[in-house]
Amino acid sequence: MSDTSCPYDPFKDVRKQKGIHIGHFDGEEIPMILRYHDVRSAAKDWATYSSDTPFRVPIPSEEDVRSYRQLPIETNPPDHTEYRELVEPLFRRPQQQDYIEEIEKMIDRLLESKLRAGIPVEVVSEFALPLQCKALTRLLRVPESEADTWLLWGMHPFLGEDRQEKGADLERYLERKFIEAKQSAPGDDFFSILAHAEFRGRPLTLDEMMGFGNLAFAGGRDTVINMVTAVIGYMAEHPEAITKLRENPKLIPTAAEEFARIISPVSRIGRTCPTGAHVAGHTIKPGQRVALTWASANFDDSVFDAPDEIRLDRKPNPHVAYGFGPHVCLGAPHARTLIRSLLKIISIRLERIDLLTSKQNRLAGPNIDRHGYYDSLEVRFLGLKSLASNGDR
Amino acid sequence: MPKITYIKPDGTPLTIENAEGNLMEIAVENGVDGITGDCGGVCSCSTCHVRITPEWIERVGPASADEKNLLSYEDSADGRSRLGCQVVLNPELDGLIVEVVGS
Ligand code: HEM
Ligand code: FES
Repeated sequence: MSDTSCPYDPFKDVRKQKGIHIGHFDGEEIPMILRYHDVRSAAKDWATYSSDTPFRVPIPSEEDVRSYRQLPIETNPPDHTEYRELVEPLFRRPQQQDYIEEIEKMIDRLLESKLRAGIPVEVVSEFALPLQCKALTRLLRVPESEADTWLLWGMHPFLGEDRQEKGADLERYLERKFIEAKQSAPGDDFFSILAHAEFRGRPLTLDEMMGFGNLAFAGGRDTVINMVTAVIGYMAEHPEAITKLRENPKLIPTAAEEFARIISPVSRIGRTCPTGAHVAGHTIKPGQRVALTWASANFDDSVFDAPDEIRLDRKPNPHVAYGFGPHVCLGAPHARTLIRSLLKIISIRLERIDLLTSKQNRLAGPNIDRHGYYDSLEVRFLGLKSLASNGDR
Repeated sequence: MPKITYIKPDGTPLTIENAEGNLMEIAVENGVDGITGDCGGVCSCSTCHVRITPEWIERVGPASADEKNLLSYEDSADGRSRLGCQVVLNPELDGLIVEVVGS
């Protein structure tokens, strides 16, 4: 990650000049909405910018990798509101103190195992992926051993050459879990909550449960992994940031938001305009899809002072990395707890992180592409001797 | 140290003595319904929306530009609206009463 030429904001010129970039995805022309206020307004206006389109909220579409409409994301209010309420309490738990402490311990144990070995660590596969899987077991309230199965799906169950195979694997796994939960007494884990939920006076169908399951496993995966890896990459290049957070822990939540803004792990999400729309001087035809480009909005200099600069104390920071409006990220409390805990444990435990090798993700294509994510990142963690030994947390 | 009263969305008051920090932090620490403070106070999430009671408006002062921007997207916002995370308590605000808007 470099502070000056910002790989995370390739949209600068076209955002200023036109406000819209016409993207091409699988042969479909999709206007990408780039300016901050246009993105926030469209995200709020769900009637004009509809999510009621199975498989077509993600860009590119996902007809070929899953057979279930994802819930609650691929619906509009009022259905959306009622679906979302079923799982909202579970997704809010990460704001409770006991949850935060467990995630901190989880990160501490993982980091300590890498410290003790003292050997190079490939962060994506040996740190971020296991952490994402383990933390998800906590969110969904299932045994930590389930993570062993999830690890096999890699970065994203719907990406890569074997995407169809992995997608089918995930669906078989989820189906088995929901059927088992349905046959057992009600519990408080994700599968059981849905298997025994009541929606408008009836139980959910298996298709509906699968829709929830699908999103929980796909939506929170590469997002979290990219974010964890980028944070560690940044800390490796900026050892002074570790000291700064150690000396001023109040900055941790603020820094976590700045990383979310800069990294914007979900670059864009789709909407369909059933009756057309007008945005940034552009006409969207009825039935056409658009992209809400969160990653561009987060660098709009009409809102953010020096948007290319990573300022760990940026405040206010009205970013939209977790979306906005009715569909604002359900996993955000979990993601925020995870990133804040990561920053806390790094600052308490580590003296510095040595960067050994890194390979950044450089997608090429007909669209404006963002860089900055790591395909691989090899580092060595160096513990802070004085604090590590006296058990002071 | 100042005292503050939150009128919760269901109409019941909750008074907190010796409060310190901003109106979002104090609410989260004391489990006030309707304020979750998701973004930790950087003015990004609007989950700390309160209305200042009329007699306190002048002393609390107006919202900043960023705050007004965010509030402009809230259907329930009006001239008394503030984002709790942007209002820091000080001795002059001892006795402050605010209404929690909730979602
Ligand atoms: C840093 C990590 C993450 C980022 C940046 C992120 C970003 C987003 C964004 C931008 C949206 C809005 C989509 C839309 O408007 O259509 C969203 C929705 C959603 N996210 Fe996340 N997400 C993250 C992590 C997670 C995690 C860990 C989970 C769950 C395990 C999750 C589950 C969801 C769900 C269920 C929705 C749909 C909510 C709805 O439709 O009401 N996300 N996320
Ligand atoms: S806590 Fe997020 S805007 Fe106030």
